[in-house]
Amino acid sequence: MSRFLAIVIGAALAFNLQARGNAEKGKQKAAQVCAACHGPDGNKPSAPDQPVLAGQYYDYLLRALGDYKNGRRTNPIMKGFAGQLSPQDMQDLAAWFSSQPTSSLHDQR
Amino acid sequence: MKRLLFLLIGAALAASAFAQDKKPAKKAAVAQVADARPTIPTENFHAQCIGCHGIPGYKTAFPEVYHVPKIAGQQPGYIVAALKAYKSGERSHPSMRGIAASLNEDQMKALADYYGAPAK
Repeated sequence: MSRFLAIVIGAALAFNLQARGNAEKGKQKAAQVCAACHGPDGNKPSAPDQPVLAGQYYDYLLRALGDYKNGRRTNPIMKGFAGQLSPQDMQDLAAWFSSQPTSSLHDQR
Repeated sequence: MKRLLFLLIGAALAASAFAQDKKPAKKAAVAQVADARPTIPTENFHAQCIGCHGIPGYKTAFPEVYHVPKIAGQQPGYIVAALKAYKSGERSHPSMRGIAASLNEDQMKALADYYGAPAK
């Protein structure tokens, strides 16, 4: 019984990790799509009004990408980039950027 | 003659003080540029942000639950852009829309500079 439980929990964990996106795949996608403006790890925005992504929360990043794609956020540039992403791509990208050490974001005062 | 000079200087000083009263410096502290709202002390101006953004790991409310983004250390230009987008309705989070709508541009910049500063 306890072995069965262990398997179930293990499977659930594995599923959960998968559902959170694959950071390695996200890294590749980021290099193609995001890096030019946000930097390869999300630490180097190329313009003052672009956000730092490295170290941002996974679920917030995922939410932002989805909002750009479905038009809840209306930035024309991001709509173009997010529009070409699949849900899996978004999870991978969110996993990649959220797991990068940030050079600036920190817990606020 | 001396007395006349004193009078003239005094009058000039008074006039310049009056002029300053009428026209406060443009880049005065945030609290002074607040439109008709009650004055919020500059040092506590971010009080309205702390409740959500000041709690590491804090999440938004039902129905859509996700982490409130980290804004400390974010690029000030992006913070201003985000606040403007909330104010204009381009971005739709209800709490953020309400707060951003109450801010003028100088206040947005002050908040952005505060949060955009590197970790202490």
